[in-house]
Amino acid sequence: MAPALIFVGVFVLIPLGQLIAMSMTDRSLLGGGRFVGFGNYVRIWNDAGFWRALLFTVKYTIVLTPILMILGFGLALLTVDNTPLKRLTRTVAFLPVVIGLSSSSLLWFWLFDEQVGLINKLLTDLRVIAQPIVWFVSADLAFWAVVISITWKVVGFGMVLFIAGIQSINPEIMEAAVVDGARYWARVSRIILPLSRRIILLTTLISAIGSMLAFDQFYIMTSGGPRGQTFTAVYWIYQNSFVSFKLGYGAALSIVLTLIILAFSTLQIALTARSEAK
Amino acid sequence: MTTRTLRAALAASLIASTAVAATARADTMTMWVRASGTNAASTLVNLWNSTHSDKIELTTIPDNQMVTKLATGVQAGEVPDLVSFDLIYMPDFMKAGFLADLTADLKADPNFASVAKAYVDIATYEGKLYGAGFTPDVSILVWNKDLFKKAGLDPDKPPRSVPEIHEDAKKIHALGADTYGFYFSGSCPGCNIFTTSPMMVASGSKILPANGNDDALTGDGVKDVLEQFKEMWSEGLVPKSAQADNGSNFVALFKTGKIGIQGCGGFLISDLKRDVPGMNFGVTFLPGMKDGEVSSFVGGDVVAIPVGSKHVPLAKAFIAWELTDEAQLDGLAKNDILPSRPALADNKYFAADPRIVTTAKALGVGYVPWVYHFADMVNSDSSPWINMLQRAIFDGDVDGAIKEAREKMKAIAAE
Repeated sequence: MAPALIFVGVFVLIPLGQLIAMSMTDRSLLGGGRFVGFGNYVRIWNDAGFWRALLFTVKYTIVLTPILMILGFGLALLTVDNTPLKRLTRTVAFLPVVIGLSSSSLLWFWLFDEQVGLINKLLTDLRVIAQPIVWFVSADLAFWAVVISITWKVVGFGMVLFIAGIQSINPEIMEAAVVDGARYWARVSRIILPLSRRIILLTTLISAIGSMLAFDQFYIMTSGGPRGQTFTAVYWIYQNSFVSFKLGYGAALSIVLTLIILAFSTLQIALTARSEAK
Repeated sequence: MTTRTLRAALAASLIASTAVAATARADTMTMWVRASGTNAASTLVNLWNSTHSDKIELTTIPDNQMVTKLATGVQAGEVPDLVSFDLIYMPDFMKAGFLADLTADLKADPNFASVAKAYVDIATYEGKLYGAGFTPDVSILVWNKDLFKKAGLDPDKPPRSVPEIHEDAKKIHALGADTYGFYFSGSCPGCNIFTTSPMMVASGSKILPANGNDDALTGDGVKDVLEQFKEMWSEGLVPKSAQADNGSNFVALFKTGKIGIQGCGGFLISDLKRDVPGMNFGVTFLPGMKDGEVSSFVGGDVVAIPVGSKHVPLAKAFIAWELTDEAQLDGLAKNDILPSRPALADNKYFAADPRIVTTAKALGVGYVPWVYHFADMVNSDSSPWINMLQRAIFDGDVDGAIKEAREKMKAIAAE
């Protein structure tokens, strides 16, 4: 117990304490800083840019999370058996997960390039579009470009977790269901899904928290544009802390974002626990 | 062993020990340079390393991370011995006390007296000097002579005003749907302060406020230039992809030969000669709204010694050396890079290409703003500068864009 406490203390509590202390100052990256109390937090309340970024981040989370869950679960169902072909498919689906997020974002940035990108080439050759699309000119198109890139990168992670969950189900239950005449989709909806509830919650939480903390992909692919419409909450914190040099204000933004994610996660766990109890 | 042999052995061991001692005395300095300045800095560093026993290890830092990395490095005490960074950040770093005072050394250096004034001014804070010009760059206008000829324009006559750019661009775009008259990176704040702001300054405007009481975006130049850009955009004279270009395609499209006219930096000359040797292109000053009005943005890198450097005397020796004729000519000019001493612009290396001489002369007509919070006001992805450009050019609301940007810039300058 003591080593764990020391670890948590050193790597979580102390830095958290320092962050809270910094959030009460107007400390700059260029040095200096006075105590300002809750002045930074009052400023956040009036910071339209932060709330716009937060709203965008929530929209991104709400759209991306179900996509990852459905596709991940679907892939898991398709590849759960341990045949050589399915194991190979699992590996191929999981490969993008091990690529760094920055590398992946850079790759997709150029895939979506209007002049030289393969996406436009493919869509044009297939006669889906007549003219190349300028993906990062419109906030909506830029949003979907990032969603597509992250789905490709991350879906394999969910797939692996779901496979672990499905494979942990007692095989006798599945055999009994087959004997009773339950068709495939009945087995999925009446046995696999209910018994995978915990893993679904875990994967949803991981995916949602990851999406709320999105930064790299937008930094590299959209630079927050067009016109600042694709700034995420973390990107906004980065802008204030390291571009505007306002470390104290950035610290306060970080605390606020942490509390919002904590509240969101707690609510999600509570709702799931309540539905399990029913 | 004979006495003679013993003497020879003793002499040899003395020579060897001296060599070892000399090698042991040789130091290695560390130097950070931002990515866009790496090529130029490498020419100087390689020349220094080939002619000095003390060496320099160069580390490239991505452009948009240099300021953060240097600021956090100084705070943490983890700094290189030398740093080459975008000169526009000098005021913030000098005010923060992050750079070593070089006043005595530079004022005693006869070569420093002939450094371009813009570099002296930007490196001065409260009467003291904290850096020297290192790898200059300056913005210019390039035009594709082949496209000019095809469009029926005189290939040796560049546009001399922004309205003339507009007119020439129309004729070039008439050559074909995938040929465009003009290009600018619509989502790149740095690219535009470098190439678009000089057109406004040439037209009589002042762009940035030095403090909260100073004015911003003054004069008609800002509005007039934005109106011209707005019209070129709405007439389709600029590729659609320009709107989203954050600078990653700043010069890529010009290299395809499909762009008639573009503002860029002097670095493009050597780039084009290397990558597209068959292209005929010209270089001239960035014009204002009227014929005869010209300007440029004097940019590039300065070299400074961060507080905390472990090799200060050696670092000072490097700075003194890089201002010498040897470094300026055999390091920079030989590689088509501008020397920071304009008097050396007339040299044997540049004589072969008058375009480089023109670029060197642009240093003399250029401006560099001495302001704090440049990143906030200009370079940030959410800066009032880029928001103004995008709202004015792509949304068409020029007056609203200028008004909003002026208020935000003044608020930032007042912080």
